[in-house]
Amino acid sequence: MYTKIHELVQTAQERQLPISELIIEQEIQMSHSSREIIWATMGKNLDVMLAAEEKGVTGEGVQSATGITGGEAVLMKRYREKGQSLSGDIMLEAVQNAIATNEVNASMGIICATPTAGSAGTLPGILSVITKQLSLDRDAQIRFLFCASAFGMVVANDAMIAGATGGCQAEVGSASAMGAAAAVEAAGGTPQQSSEAFAMAMSNLLGLVCDPVAGLVEVPCVKRNVIGSVNALTSADMALAGLVSKIPADEVISAMKSIGENLPSTLRETGLGGLAATPTGIALKMQIFGQDMSIDK
Amino acid sequence: MTNQYRSVFDIIGPIMIGPSSSHTAGAVAIGHVANRLFHAPIKKVIVRYYESFAQTHQGHGTDYAIISGVLGFDPADQRVPMAVDLARRQGIEVEFIEDPGDSPVNHPNTAELTLINSQKSLTIWGCSIGGGTIEIRKVDLNGIIFQPDGPLPIIFVESDQEIGTALDHIFKDNYRGARISVRVPGRFLYKLELLDKPYPEQVEQVRGMSKDMIVL
Repeated sequence: MYTKIHELVQTAQERQLPISELIIEQEIQMSHSSREIIWATMGKNLDVMLAAEEKGVTGEGVQSATGITGGEAVLMKRYREKGQSLSGDIMLEAVQNAIATNEVNASMGIICATPTAGSAGTLPGILSVITKQLSLDRDAQIRFLFCASAFGMVVANDAMIAGATGGCQAEVGSASAMGAAAAVEAAGGTPQQSSEAFAMAMSNLLGLVCDPVAGLVEVPCVKRNVIGSVNALTSADMALAGLVSKIPADEVISAMKSIGENLPSTLRETGLGGLAATPTGIALKMQIFGQDMSIDK
Repeated sequence: MTNQYRSVFDIIGPIMIGPSSSHTAGAVAIGHVANRLFHAPIKKVIVRYYESFAQTHQGHGTDYAIISGVLGFDPADQRVPMAVDLARRQGIEVEFIEDPGDSPVNHPNTAELTLINSQKSLTIWGCSIGGGTIEIRKVDLNGIIFQPDGPLPIIFVESDQEIGTALDHIFKDNYRGARISVRVPGRFLYKLELLDKPYPEQVEQVRGMSKDMIVL
């Protein structure tokens, strides 16, 4: 089992194989399933991601039960149609799809966790952009997900991917780094460049706290996925342009872990600190749950 | 505590009803473990939450998620959001408790889940470690306590024969930690923790010796 990024990179270089291929081999070996079954299962995950993006911008979009998120992917779609954006339409493709996916998640729709539900919009945002820019076919999109999972598994085992243990840097930060690495592979970059993209993307989001208003995966989670997607795409571009991270990927993961462990619990998915503890955050919580926070209904 | 995540689908997946992989999909998985270990009609379910679970279960749908698992639903089942009502309509008493104390098994997302009927009781201490992946750190099966490391797969086998040596022979290359054997009147109960999913042939071999095998 690959336990470090540098092992993935070194093996990929030695065997002249993409990282996605190494992780498919590992999955076959560990799950005792066939390549066809594994490929088809990842294909189903892709289908769920695409369906969620679509659902989030169909009609007026979706609304969460609390009413604090929803409908904004549609606003972005309409804005794009005017063709006068500041950051360029292709970047807004990522923005729209990241928001749409997480709005669907918040509305208790069906999503694919990548690696978590709170960070489920980050990879779809990235994938929608590179699918257009690189004209990726379905198989290449599935391969992107395998490559992302290879990097994600190292983070999950070596550090953490839960907001409750590591803050948002462990969720959106990890998703962004995984996606940056996989975008590089999809664009024909080297395994080392994937590792650089990963390291830069994760470095940029170190320290990001998990401070959901009312403890819900809504505010600020939906829009944090936007920064995950955009950061991944720019990190992938930096790596493809030959920029490097001075700190190697595995050490960035160690730093993320150490920061996560040092975060107070108020900033680890308890809904007690950060934005959740602002006057408006508290007011929203009161509005949603009322005075009585006990569960007996 | 290393390598709890062993499949690409622990990272890309699960497909699930939102909003939280730890608090919703992971909770379904913890409920599912209890369902499979209890495998009998349920009279009452008591869910005791600790730490992050206690703070945020209400907003994350953890209540219906954990009950969905108890009822055997998968995380993408459309009935997930209605599970608490469905359970009560089946005559199952359901109780949720927010415990202000620290997790007794040392994880911020801990649920202590008890299933009871007139013949037996089961309590499991499940931790949702992120992305929908869970660990089971303690099991109390009718007063017999097991304390696994946590990561799945964990296997429970019950037999009227002493089959410990035979189990060692089947799984020896795949053991994570020691096999635990407990003698109950007329029966033997075994707990095994494996590094990887057992091969179908291994499962077949065990089934040849015992019909009571649960692979978590």
